[in-house]
Amino acid sequence: MLAVLLALAGGAVATTSAQAQESDKTLKVSLVGDIDTFNPFLAILLSSTGLNRYQYEALVGYGKNSEPVPGIAEKWETSNQGKTWTFTIGEDRKWSDGEQITADDVVYTYTSILETPALQEANGGLVTNIDKVEASDPQTVVFTLKSAQASNPGQEIPIVPEHIWSEQDATKFKADSDVVGSGPYTLTSFKTGQTVEMKANPHFWRGKSKIDGLTFVSYKNSDAAVQGLKSGDIDLVDGLTPAQYESLEKSDNIKLNAGIGRRYQALAINPGAIDKDGKPMGDGNPALKDEKLRQAIFMAIDKETIVKRVLNGLGTVGQTEVPATYQDYFGFADGHEAVPFDLDAANQLLDDAGYEKGADGIREDKQGEPLVLRLMGRNTESPHAQMADFVESWLKEIGIGTETQLVTPDKVNEDSTLGKYDLYFTGWSLGPDPDAQLAMNTCDSRPNADGSGNTSENNWCSSEFDQLFKAQHAELDKAKRADLVKQAFTTIYEAYVSNPIYYIKPLEAYRSDRVDGFVTQPEKGGVILNQNGYWGLYSAELTSADAADDGGTPGWLIPAAVVVVLAGIAGFVAVRRRGGAAEDRE
Amino acid sequence: MTDPVVAETLGHDDEEVRGSSLPRYLALKAGGALVSLALVVVLGFFTFRVLPGDPAITMTRGRQVTPGEVERLRQAMGLDQPLLVQLGHFVRDLFTGDLGTSYVYRRPVTELIGEYLGPTLLLTGSAAIISIILGLWLGQKAAWRRNSWFDKTHTGLALVFWSVPTFWLGLLLLLMFGGWLQWLPTGGMTTPGAHETGLAYVLDVAEHLVLPVTSMVAVVYAQYLMVMRASVLEEMSADYLTTARAKGLREDLVRTRHAVPNALLPTVTLIFLTIGGLIAGAVTVETVFSWPGLGYLTYKGLSAPDLPLLQGTFVVFSAAVIVMNFVADLVYRVLDPRLKAS
Repeated sequence: MLAVLLALAGGAVATTSAQAQESDKTLKVSLVGDIDTFNPFLAILLSSTGLNRYQYEALVGYGKNSEPVPGIAEKWETSNQGKTWTFTIGEDRKWSDGEQITADDVVYTYTSILETPALQEANGGLVTNIDKVEASDPQTVVFTLKSAQASNPGQEIPIVPEHIWSEQDATKFKADSDVVGSGPYTLTSFKTGQTVEMKANPHFWRGKSKIDGLTFVSYKNSDAAVQGLKSGDIDLVDGLTPAQYESLEKSDNIKLNAGIGRRYQALAINPGAIDKDGKPMGDGNPALKDEKLRQAIFMAIDKETIVKRVLNGLGTVGQTEVPATYQDYFGFADGHEAVPFDLDAANQLLDDAGYEKGADGIREDKQGEPLVLRLMGRNTESPHAQMADFVESWLKEIGIGTETQLVTPDKVNEDSTLGKYDLYFTGWSLGPDPDAQLAMNTCDSRPNADGSGNTSENNWCSSEFDQLFKAQHAELDKAKRADLVKQAFTTIYEAYVSNPIYYIKPLEAYRSDRVDGFVTQPEKGGVILNQNGYWGLYSAELTSADAADDGGTPGWLIPAAVVVVLAGIAGFVAVRRRGGAAEDRE
Repeated sequence: MTDPVVAETLGHDDEEVRGSSLPRYLALKAGGALVSLALVVVLGFFTFRVLPGDPAITMTRGRQVTPGEVERLRQAMGLDQPLLVQLGHFVRDLFTGDLGTSYVYRRPVTELIGEYLGPTLLLTGSAAIISIILGLWLGQKAAWRRNSWFDKTHTGLALVFWSVPTFWLGLLLLLMFGGWLQWLPTGGMTTPGAHETGLAYVLDVAEHLVLPVTSMVAVVYAQYLMVMRASVLEEMSADYLTTARAKGLREDLVRTRHAVPNALLPTVTLIFLTIGGLIAGAVTVETVFSWPGLGYLTYKGLSAPDLPLLQGTFVVFSAAVIVMNFVADLVYRVLDPRLKAS
């Protein structure tokens, strides 16, 4: 029996080492996050839309610094004061099956979204201003918009091959095996909850990738992913916690990357939420309607300390909501700056505003009620709990009491939408075009009374902001628009409704003995995965061809053999003994 | 002939059916099962509506949506209808085997469950079989040599593992054997990228099963050990065993041929309940070892909340338990001749 077991194990080893040669030139990346669907019309989860960026290009793509660069279109121009956009598709653009990419594909994609409500799930909000999309010749597409806009309508929307999709029911097409796409990699197979396999697209117009393929391995918890990186089961990991990141610092063959991210984390204050019809929503503390009180709260947040103590330095201090990734729009408008951390000045401000301190050090509002504010955060994110501790202590020093409630993300979303909060920790990831984020602060963005309808970032409304929004929305001159955008974000800041505390640095790690040469986004100090685009994995090169980790005798073979031998001996002895005992008794 | 003392200690609800005919027994048990199932369907439907979050809003949050978009989504999900109408649709669809379409995955729930069913049963099934065999074998040996070092060590060890949280043990094993010694894989069901077939595939999956199954077995086998031990202890004082010894049988055979089969009866119910629970997966183990299972799928459904997925899995899991309970009742009746006596 022992011999049989060993023979089986040997057979397995032989066959697995043969397979190992095949998987040599693919990069294995961890995937911690769910895939809902790969249909680009329906996919909304971050993992799936992220992976789709590798296989479908839009008309206009994002460059290494998130700037607009040619995608399917090689050039574009506006006319009619920004109401008409004409895109010219490059002659060298081909689908992964060799077919030419033409205007028909673009028309098919956009028209599908415009005309079929079921296909608007992923990108419906991006086409509201488009009147029609027509092909004027096989390589030229003309967009006619309802009104002028500065944002390029050719961005973001993945173009799908009409010759494949028109034969399917697009609302049900899974598009998850042997996909025909235009990006550097296309999907070959998808095992739900296990792996996503992609192979290099030989017809990619920028040139075939140096790696043969990608395998995304589903890990349901990041600790296991880190162990997988150490043991060589995977080559690249993202989404590390600071603790995991630091634990990998000493490993020889693992390189770390702390990039500039696209997400801001802020402390939001309820300014008196109002719904679409102008009626009050929720139960925010009425004292917070006073701008001076909100300003004082801003003054009580020491962002540097939070970045140092909560993030272990793996983040940057927040300014406006725009992270440093987007240099064009980053920072305050000229002549404006952040409110400094100054507890004394905050106390002075509140004293002058008439908030007297009670006997216990807690101030009273204009009605004589003690000023105690609720602070809401997510119970799934440990920085929230840590930040809450700091915020509580600082607010206490300026005479404001705090009640922290850490609840599920869904509850946070629900309560914040309905205005049922005083303070809460909020955060958003920004895309390269700020229009979408700004749109969530207009007066029109306010929801219905039951929370349905639009999404308002801060439950706030200002006509001054609305004017700035309209201006940047249609301003075609880049420099002028950048200026207007900065002014708009500065206006949000100075309304004291959302205080960006930090931009977290996404933490990544990879096996430097297996792969290198990643182009990050932004090029200097950016991230490898989760880019607005495909530069990270497109540029990578595998450094070694040897399969040190696959094949060969698995380490467990010897100990397993020993255990089996010992068990065999023990069993043999036991049988002999039992037989002997019976004889004795007889 | 039924020993009155033994009859007393049997199931009390069997009082009425003991000695009754098979059709009547079946009808009563089946009726009970159907009532349970109906209650489960209704309860499952309403329970998940209590979860916070409007699915239409949660799924469109954070993206630019047109004013009518959320409303359209809500209509597509059928959420704009009154609750009782929704319940009616749900029950009607159940009869045709349609468990609805998942909000998040956009696929029929039956399809999703079908895809994850194999890996789930492989994991929980292997763990169940090993823990049952291990637990029963150790339990009857421990009882036979009560208070010996064997008994004390194994009972103690089993209880220690029983008290340990599964995910903690799993993580430890992962760290030790996956990350540090690198003897076993760190996650998943197969080696990514290696398209194996036949024996190589079987061995690859087996290699990936080792750690998750070990974690599950370690934490659970105490259950079977203790029940079997108690059961055998009770049997040991019976008269018929003295007869067996007087006949000249070896101790081993007295144990295995007479005591153990009779002591197995109480564990039958336990085993069938376990089988019923297999399909529900093991969410903590699946999370630690990244195993594609139904436990994790269901847990993820809580976030939207993905109502069709939650309702569908709830009904399927509960039905499995109810059916297995029913089967256990039948098997018990077959195994125990005392139940049939009239």
